[in-house]
Amino acid sequence: MLYIKNILSCILVLPLIGAFILSFIPSSSRSLLRSIALNCSCLTFVLSLLLWVFFNKSVGTFQFTENFFWVPILNLNFSIGIDGISLFFILLTTLLIPICLLASWDTIQVDLKKYLISFLVMEFFLIGVFCTLDLLFFYIFFESVLIPMFLIIGIWGSRERKIRAAYFFFLYTLLGSVLMLLSILYIYYQVGTTDYEVLLTFSFSPLEQKIMWFAFFASFATKVPMVPVHLWLPEAHVEAPTAGSVILAGVLLKLGTYGFIRFSFPLFPEACFYFAPFVYAMSVVGIVYTSFTAIRQSDFKRIIAYTSVAHMNLVMVGLFSFNVIGLEGAILQSLSHGFVASALFLIIGVVYDRHHTRMVKYYGGLVHTMPIYVFIFLFFTMSNIGLPGTGSFVGEFLILTGSFKANTTVTFLSATGMIIGGCYSLWLFNRIAYGNLKTQYFKNYLDINKREFLIFFPLLLGTLVMGIYPNIFLNSIHFSTNMLVEFMYF
Amino acid sequence: MRIETLLFKEIVILPELFLGISLVYLVLHCTFLAIKKNYPLIQNSVLYLGVLVLFLSCFLVLNDGLDVLEQSVLNDTIVNDYLSFFSKLVIGSLSLFCLLMIQPYLTSQKINQFEYILLILFAVLGLFLLCSSNDLLTAYLAIELQSLAFYVLASFKKNSTHSVDAGIKYFILGAFSSSLFLFGSSLLYGVTGTINFEEFKDLFVNVFPGNHDVILNEISLFDFSLVQFGLVFILISLLFKLAIAPFHTWAPDVYEGSPSSSTFFFSVVPKLAIFVLLLRIFYYSFFGFFESWRYFIVIVVVLSIIVGSFGGLEQRKLKSLLVYSSISHMGYALIAFSAGTFESIQMLLCYLVVYSFSGLCVWSIFILTRLKNNHLQKQNKDLTDLVLLGKSNYMLAIFFTTVLFSVAGFPPMIGFLVKISVFLTAIESSMFFVVLISILCSVVGTFYYIRLIKILYFEKVLVGKLYYPIQVQSSVLISLLFFLFLFLFINPTLLYLFSYKISLLVSTAV
Repeated sequence: MLYIKNILSCILVLPLIGAFILSFIPSSSRSLLRSIALNCSCLTFVLSLLLWVFFNKSVGTFQFTENFFWVPILNLNFSIGIDGISLFFILLTTLLIPICLLASWDTIQVDLKKYLISFLVMEFFLIGVFCTLDLLFFYIFFESVLIPMFLIIGIWGSRERKIRAAYFFFLYTLLGSVLMLLSILYIYYQVGTTDYEVLLTFSFSPLEQKIMWFAFFASFATKVPMVPVHLWLPEAHVEAPTAGSVILAGVLLKLGTYGFIRFSFPLFPEACFYFAPFVYAMSVVGIVYTSFTAIRQSDFKRIIAYTSVAHMNLVMVGLFSFNVIGLEGAILQSLSHGFVASALFLIIGVVYDRHHTRMVKYYGGLVHTMPIYVFIFLFFTMSNIGLPGTGSFVGEFLILTGSFKANTTVTFLSATGMIIGGCYSLWLFNRIAYGNLKTQYFKNYLDINKREFLIFFPLLLGTLVMGIYPNIFLNSIHFSTNMLVEFMYF
Repeated sequence: MRIETLLFKEIVILPELFLGISLVYLVLHCTFLAIKKNYPLIQNSVLYLGVLVLFLSCFLVLNDGLDVLEQSVLNDTIVNDYLSFFSKLVIGSLSLFCLLMIQPYLTSQKINQFEYILLILFAVLGLFLLCSSNDLLTAYLAIELQSLAFYVLASFKKNSTHSVDAGIKYFILGAFSSSLFLFGSSLLYGVTGTINFEEFKDLFVNVFPGNHDVILNEISLFDFSLVQFGLVFILISLLFKLAIAPFHTWAPDVYEGSPSSSTFFFSVVPKLAIFVLLLRIFYYSFFGFFESWRYFIVIVVVLSIIVGSFGGLEQRKLKSLLVYSSISHMGYALIAFSAGTFESIQMLLCYLVVYSFSGLCVWSIFILTRLKNNHLQKQNKDLTDLVLLGKSNYMLAIFFTTVLFSVAGFPPMIGFLVKISVFLTAIESSMFFVVLISILCSVVGTFYYIRLIKILYFEKVLVGKLYYPIQVQSSVLISLLFFLFLFLFINPTLLYLFSYKISLLVSTAV
């Protein structure tokens, strides 16, 4: 019990230690490299489960807090801690990293060592984003994630367009976040510290709030992504390797929504209310536009990428309803999207590994040869639509209930997104799974193997549990969300 | 009694004395040895003797800097304080690294004359004197000492027209800017009758930023507009030396034409010393005129950041890319300089130290990577020549990537911390617009650094230029630098403490 206090910092540095060990192992011993990386990430996951076990569900404050001095002379310190909101994002990260490593078990041929190291370093940065309680360190981790992801897209991406995609990804996000950096510096200049818990006690003037909210919005909206700045996402998804897409859809997009919940809401509450109609408008346009765009894509991955945009925009609608139901729904939908979108990208990865194409027109009738695969595909397609019994249903239901209180028109318009979602998901599933087997294109078919089943199993289980008994998750989220909402209104 | 006190006082400039006397000895040693022995022996011996001399002078700096605080000697022309101690230490260690790194390059490029090393040492002597100069004439002489050495270093490859061309250009514009400095100094001397920084400070002790018009009406002892005029000339001359934007046009030509080892030296080492002089003149002595020179610097800052960021986009040669990168970085440093607060000195020095060391890293990679099968002995690398570096020199490429991210000011590196510190000081003095422009330009600047990373890793080419593995001693130095980088991010307090002490000293007027 004595050491349970330091468990969060252990989780934080464990991937870094793993990466450090990996750097000393010769790149020729591939199986050793892979097993060390996998074991390290699995250990991190087990530790983060312990975090959940020892998490006190009946308080909304930060737990497992630790403080480290960094530059005392400038009053910059590194403090970590979690509450109910960040807990599940950390769990999502630590779950998805071993899945990513398993998904790219055999497919990565070149520079395996660098690949594994970048994934572990990225895990470190992502956990850092979610557990840091310092605004400047949040920015540091938030930006640092770009480096490993940039390398993953650029080095292990599949086609020639990957360089363009990597640039898109890097520069879009960077351009958004430098504005956030500017306002972080302004906050530091005003308050004299960037410690989150101190910042909560400080209130900015309405004009300052509006300007800084917009700067933060520029950064987070690029990450979510909202519509005019979503262009990097389909590019990055299509060009990234499967595991890269999984982590991109599963965790990186959540950085935006997490940033809104953690920083924009409590620091600039008045600006949030002021800009809510603007966000609603952008989100609704995003939902409808990207859902329609998804229908006319020919690339398997591009379709899923556009559905990701639609779902994340729905999360934005939930967030800006400013009530407990909507916020909880948004968090839950983020989590379930983390499961479902990751699983869909993994599903694409399975057929891409076998046939090396992602064009929908080459596939057809897979149900005849790959029944287990099609079953899993069906399950996740249904949860993508939001079938009752899956996590997405609970999330979407809560979001729509919450936003109904705030703005009925927006609820109506965003609910149409779900209908169009049904269109493209079923259309896609129909093309891939049913119809004639296109033997003129592909000769050999192979159903999923044990490793691939192991990848899908936890995601499938998680989605089901979230759909059938969401209280497991909501229990822990509840108090923190309540505190946040109270903080915003008072 | 008198001799004893004299010795005790003059011991303060022991590092410079030691360096100067050793240089005289080295010149004699080389001249007499050159008659008897042939090339490799003398080249190596003078290199290692030079390294030894530099190391000992650094050691002497370290020795007397720890307990001596502020002492001026030789009729107050030389001052030894924390600022000079710190800057000399940094400059000494930078040039030490420089000398060790360029050795393989000199061998491969067949720069066999012993004068090369000696000239570098002369330049270091000039920089040392510049750091501790306490009046305008000493500063001028020190600048001339280092500049003359640089002119020769730039034109050292006699058989290359580019090198001679670079030397001439550097000489003409350097002489021009030095004359501006002299002109400014003479104006100041004509108005006030003194050239000493300490006396300037005492003269203008009543002048505060923003109120010198009031003073002008009350006591018309000096013509203040002439003082401002002189200051502008001095400022322009020093900006010429730093290659800041409107005065930067000589830099790309000179940097490209000179032998890479010379470019390495004069693009990395002297910036800090010139900033020390700027601090002494504009912060220590003439801070009362802050309002009059500030806006000039702000314009220059914005210009040089824009030129540096956008000019670098179209470069195809690594050297010219580095020139533009240095122009924009000097712009960032000047942001802190134009802020005019206590913190600004601190952040400026931190920025300069980190910038110098990262410049050292980038240039040493540039110098140390030698192409295999390079019949033309091409000395300027195209960016695309680095394509196979990631495959042939694996660790070097990783180091290069880390340094590039740091130079670009990307988060988990020390470059990020010092860059935001600079922006922070600017925000503290309400320069929001400047910060906005420079932070957006820094995104543009990031593009050309990540383009280098793209070339290192992303391209699947099998045809390209291979590199020799680097020597053991250079790799030890490089790993030393790498750990310095990592350490500085994990514990940057040391850097900030040093610069804090200096800003306490300089900012007596602020």
